[in-house]
Amino acid sequence: MATAVSAQHLSKTYTYRGGSTQALDDVSFDIPAGETYGLIGRNGAGKTTFLRITGTLLLPSSGTATVLGYDIRTEEREIRRRIAMVPQESRPLYFATTEQLIDGYLRMRGMDGTEARRRRNDVIDELGLADVRRRLVSRLSGGQRRRVMVAMVLASDAELLFLDEPTTGLDPLARREVWSAIQRATRERRTVLLTTHYLDEAEALSSRLALLEGGHLRIEGTPDSIRARVQLPYRVTLDSSWSVDELTSFGPVTSVVGGHLLFTREKEAREIVQSALARGSRVALAPVSLEDIFLQLVGRPLDEGEVTEKPEEPE
Amino acid sequence: MSARNRARSFLSIVYLNGILPMRAQPLYLLNTIASPLAFLFFIDVASRGALSSFAITGGLILTILTTGTGIQADLVHYKQDLKFQDVVVASPVEAPIYVAGMAFSEFVYSIPGLAVFLLLSVGVLDYTVVGTLTLAGALVLIWGFSTAFGFTLATYFSDIREAFVFAPLISILMTTLPPVYYPITYIPASIRWAAYLSPTTYAADLVHRGLCAAGSACYEAPSAAATAVDWGVLTGLTVVLIVLAATKARWREP
Ligand SMILES: Nc1ncnc2c1ncn2[C@@H]1O[C@H](COP(=O)(O)OP(=O)(O)OP(=O)(O)O)[C@@H](O)[C@H]1O
Ligand SMILES: [Mg+2]
Repeated sequence: MATAVSAQHLSKTYTYRGGSTQALDDVSFDIPAGETYGLIGRNGAGKTTFLRITGTLLLPSSGTATVLGYDIRTEEREIRRRIAMVPQESRPLYFATTEQLIDGYLRMRGMDGTEARRRRNDVIDELGLADVRRRLVSRLSGGQRRRVMVAMVLASDAELLFLDEPTTGLDPLARREVWSAIQRATRERRTVLLTTHYLDEAEALSSRLALLEGGHLRIEGTPDSIRARVQLPYRVTLDSSWSVDELTSFGPVTSVVGGHLLFTREKEAREIVQSALARGSRVALAPVSLEDIFLQLVGRPLDEGEVTEKPEEPE
Repeated sequence: MSARNRARSFLSIVYLNGILPMRAQPLYLLNTIASPLAFLFFIDVASRGALSSFAITGGLILTILTTGTGIQADLVHYKQDLKFQDVVVASPVEAPIYVAGMAFSEFVYSIPGLAVFLLLSVGVLDYTVVGTLTLAGALVLIWGFSTAFGFTLATYFSDIREAFVFAPLISILMTTLPPVYYPITYIPASIRWAAYLSPTTYAADLVHRGLCAAGSACYEAPSAAATAVDWGVLTGLTVVLIVLAATKARWREP
C-alpha cells in the first residue's frame, strides 16, 4: 500500500525568549494513502506541531518526513501542490459569502471557474450550508464558519487533507455531516490526516490512529489492534447496589454517577454479569471505547513493549 | 503552477482581499481618502491658497503610501488572527503570488483617493509626456517601497496591535514631517539633510518639479543632477527593501 506521510525521527523544539519546549521527540510512523488517519492526544501533545511540519508550515529541529513521496525539507513546492489544510483555530475571511469564499479559495489554488462552482455546490449541499450559501461569512455562527473552512478544503482537488480539529464547536448533526464528507474524500482515494479530541470521531473515521503524549508517539495502529493491546478489554457499568469492595477483585473500579464503572477481562466480565442478573441489579457490558483506552493509557508510565512492538496486521 | 493558474490565483486574492471588502463596506474607502483631504483643507486655509498645489501632490503621495501600512496590517491580521496565511502556504499558491495579490488589493483601495487627487492636479501639475511619466514613476516607486516596507515590518510582528502602533508613526515620519506637503526650501538649510532621511522626500522632489514645469509653484530651479539623485535613491531604496522583504519573509517557520 502506498504511503502518504512517512515521519522519520521527527523532533521539534520551539525556542523562545526565556525557554524552550520540546513539542515532538523522535516521532516515526507511516500514514497510508487513501485513508483517514487520526491523531489524538491531550492538549499540548504535539498534534498541531506534527501537522504543521508535514504540511510544510514549520521546519523540524531534526529528523525529516516525506509527504506523498517528497521530502518536506527540500521538495516543499511539490508537496504544496497536492495538499490543503484547515489549521486549528483558523477563521474564514469575513467579507465574502460562503459561495464566494469557497470559489475564491478554489480559484486561488488554480482551479477553473466552472469546475470550482460545481465542486462548491456539491460541498455546500453535503455540509448542510445551503441555507447560508449567499450570506456573508461575518454573519455566520461559529460552527457554520468552521464548516465553511472545512468545505473549502474538502472541495479542493488536493490529494492529502490536513484537518486540525475540524469539528470543534460543531453540533452533533453537523459533526456527522463533516464525517460523511470526510468519508467521501477517502472513497475518492484521498488521504485525510485528522486531529480531534472527540474519540468517538477518531474511532468512527480513522482506519489508523496515533496517540501522542508529551511529544512522544505513545501508541499507533488500527482501532482494533489498539483495543487488542489493552489488558482489560471490557467495560462493565453496575448500579449502586454494589459496593466497591465486592468489585475490586474483578479489576479497577471507578465510582460514577449512579453506580460503578469496572474494566475487566472476558472471563471476569461474564461472571459479574451473571451475578448481577441473578441479583436483579442493572448491568451493562461493552467493549472498551477509545476514550476508555485513552483514559487508561494517558498519564500512566509506559508499559514495556506497548508501543515498540506493533503486532502485524493483515494488509 | 502554470502562468494561467498563477494569474487566476493572483486575481482571486485581489478579489477576496480587495474587491469583496470594498463592496461589503464602502466606508473603508473614506479611510484612505479622509486624511489627505483634511490635510489639503488645512494647508489651503493656513497658507491662504499659496501651498494648495503642494498639498495636492502631498495627497497623491500620502494616498499611495497608505497602501504600505494597509498591507502591513492585513498581513499580520491574516497570519495571526485568521490563520489565512497558513491556509495559503499549505496550498499551491506561491509566496510571490500571495504578496503581489495582497499588494495589488491595497492598491485597489487607493484608487478612489488617487482619482480624486489626480483630478485636482489637472492644471496644477505638468501633464506633458515627460511630466506624466515622472509622476507615474515616482508614485510607482513609492508604492513599491511602502509595500516592501510594510511587508518587512509585518514579518516582525506577532500581534495586530503592534501593527496598529506603527501605522500612524510611519505616516507622520514619512508624510507629515518631510517636505511632501510643502516646499523643501521652507526647511532651514542647516537641517535640510534630515528631510532626506525619508524616501518620500525624493519622490516629492520629483513630483514638485512638475509644479515648477506647469508654472503653478516653483521654489527652487530643478537641476538635472538633483533629478538623477532623486531617481537613483528612490529606485535603490525600493530595490533594497524588496530584497530585504524577500529574504526576511518567512513562508515557513524555522
Ligand atoms: N509557537 C510555539 N512556540 C512555543 N511553544 C509552542 C508553540 N506552539 C506550540 N508550542 C508548544 O509545543 C507543545 C505542542 O503543541 P501543539 O500545538 O503541537 O499541541 P496539540 O497537541 O496540537 O495541542 P491542542 O490539543 O491543545 O491543540 C505544547 O507544549 C505547546 O505549548
Ligand atoms: Mg493543536
